[in-house]
Amino acid sequence: MQRKNIKFSIFKYAMLSLVAIFVLFPVYYMITLSLRSQSSLWSKSTLFPVDSNLDNYRAAFENTDFKRALLNSVIVCGSSTLIAVLFSVMAAYALTILKFKGRDTLGRIIIIAFLTPGALLFIPLAVIMANLHLSNSLRGLILVYLSFMVPLGTYLLIGFFRSLPAELEEAARIDGASRMQALWMVLLPLVAPGLVSVAIITFTGAYNELLYSLVINISPEMRTVPVAILNLSVADEVPWGRTMAFSSIAALPVMALYFAGQRFVVEGLQTGSVKG
Amino acid sequence: MAAKTLASAKNEVSKKRTGIFAPTSLFGYFMMLPAMSVLVFFFAYPLSYEVWTSLTDKTLGNDAKFIGLDNYASLLTDPDFITAARNSVVYVSLVQMGKFILGLGIAILLHQKLVARGFWRAVVLVPYAMPGFVAFMVWKLIYNPDIGALNIFLMKLGITDAPIAFLGDRTWAMGSVIFATIWRGFPFWAIMFLAALQAVPKELYEAAAVDGANAWHRFRNISLPGIRPVILIVFMLSTINTINSFEAIWLTTAGGPSDATVILPVFAYKGLAAFQIGESAAAALSLVPVAMVFAIFILSRLKKD
Repeated sequence: MQRKNIKFSIFKYAMLSLVAIFVLFPVYYMITLSLRSQSSLWSKSTLFPVDSNLDNYRAAFENTDFKRALLNSVIVCGSSTLIAVLFSVMAAYALTILKFKGRDTLGRIIIIAFLTPGALLFIPLAVIMANLHLSNSLRGLILVYLSFMVPLGTYLLIGFFRSLPAELEEAARIDGASRMQALWMVLLPLVAPGLVSVAIITFTGAYNELLYSLVINISPEMRTVPVAILNLSVADEVPWGRTMAFSSIAALPVMALYFAGQRFVVEGLQTGSVKG
Repeated sequence: MAAKTLASAKNEVSKKRTGIFAPTSLFGYFMMLPAMSVLVFFFAYPLSYEVWTSLTDKTLGNDAKFIGLDNYASLLTDPDFITAARNSVVYVSLVQMGKFILGLGIAILLHQKLVARGFWRAVVLVPYAMPGFVAFMVWKLIYNPDIGALNIFLMKLGITDAPIAFLGDRTWAMGSVIFATIWRGFPFWAIMFLAALQAVPKELYEAAAVDGANAWHRFRNISLPGIRPVILIVFMLSTINTINSFEAIWLTTAGGPSDATVILPVFAYKGLAAFQIGESAAAALSLVPVAMVFAIFILSRLKKD
């Protein structure tokens, strides 16, 4: 029995190490190559770090287009996240706590929008935004991103509101609080983890978005980070060291955010997909 | 006591006034207004616009003329569209199968008694935390025939003599893209399944162990039924995401070599880039029947639970 346990333990950790290599190798490769020049890449084929220097990173910080793209991404994702969280809280609150005619229908519309693949709508959105003179602007992209962030945020927050005891709002009202006070002082503090998780999930979703950004913002000054990195390549020629350095810089803040808020993200995904 | 009567009185009032213009209803509509406006302007309107456009011969700078279902008819006879549709089915089903097996296997592994489980769980989350565009650029590099890690590795081990163009060769391209997509997407499944496994009551396992059930029977008869609802929901959410995965293809192969990895969103994007607006609208709308099946399925499941 004892021996069997030890064998099983060895097996477990061996499997976990394989998983770790599988998961972490691409990250390792991205970083080692980001530290090498194009000529070093072509002359020495090795999996280990050689000729490491920070030139590609220096190039990133001297590249005005890339800095511009980082700023654009922060503006677009930051503002659309703030708006989406606000709209989603209002809707999720109404759909779970309030009772009104047509509530179920509106809830169903939100879920249908949430389940609609974004690739379905990029063509009409590109045409409509051009007609409204909103393409090639950060405002336009913010508006378009709301179309997937609001249904997602509402869907996730419905799960959080549902997990609150049903009598809570009523009790606050009986104690003399208005609906707004009950929402602001009693309900919101309790769904705060949900707000954090929705903010992280929608922010990263918008930051990673490529298709809408590609078709709506064509002019170089309005590019977001994914499009800027895609545009480092000229025709089929990819400057790999540089692309990997820029990618590392682009990935770092989002991954840090993700791991700092890991608890909330996991809870949000679970609440959304299990209880929602 | 007084509060109680007040509450019941209030209940009666609200029972009497539940019409559209009742105060609670108005407040409800007020709270729904911002979200619904977003959906009207950026979901319902584009969707109807797309349906209408798909029935016209709209191209850039051309006045759209109504042509009925001609776009759909020509798509069905377009070999490139048929290829894209077939690729989509192959891509989505193999990716989902891979994520399911890997996700469930790793969830079971993480569910064992482990030192530093939190650390291992965080490691598994890495691909999911990485932005998709970064992940797929890195995989494009790993597959590169000249400087890619996979070729360096295979050649150092002497498995191949000549480098393989994983993304440039028809035999390898689809499989390579599928593998990269699985890498990026499996953590969502693993984390969801792990949480579901942890929520299965421990007493059930203890009772089964007393009855002499072995590990496989415990898994088959307790774990699997316990996490079934989660499996269903994860399957549906992730499938819709995968149908949608434009970037996975566009950043690695851009649909090539010679359409071997073109899936529907890429096909529609190429149509838009060629300004065939009416026809690509019809192509994008061909995603609807697929999404509808999943939407109806998930709605009915949620109602049941």
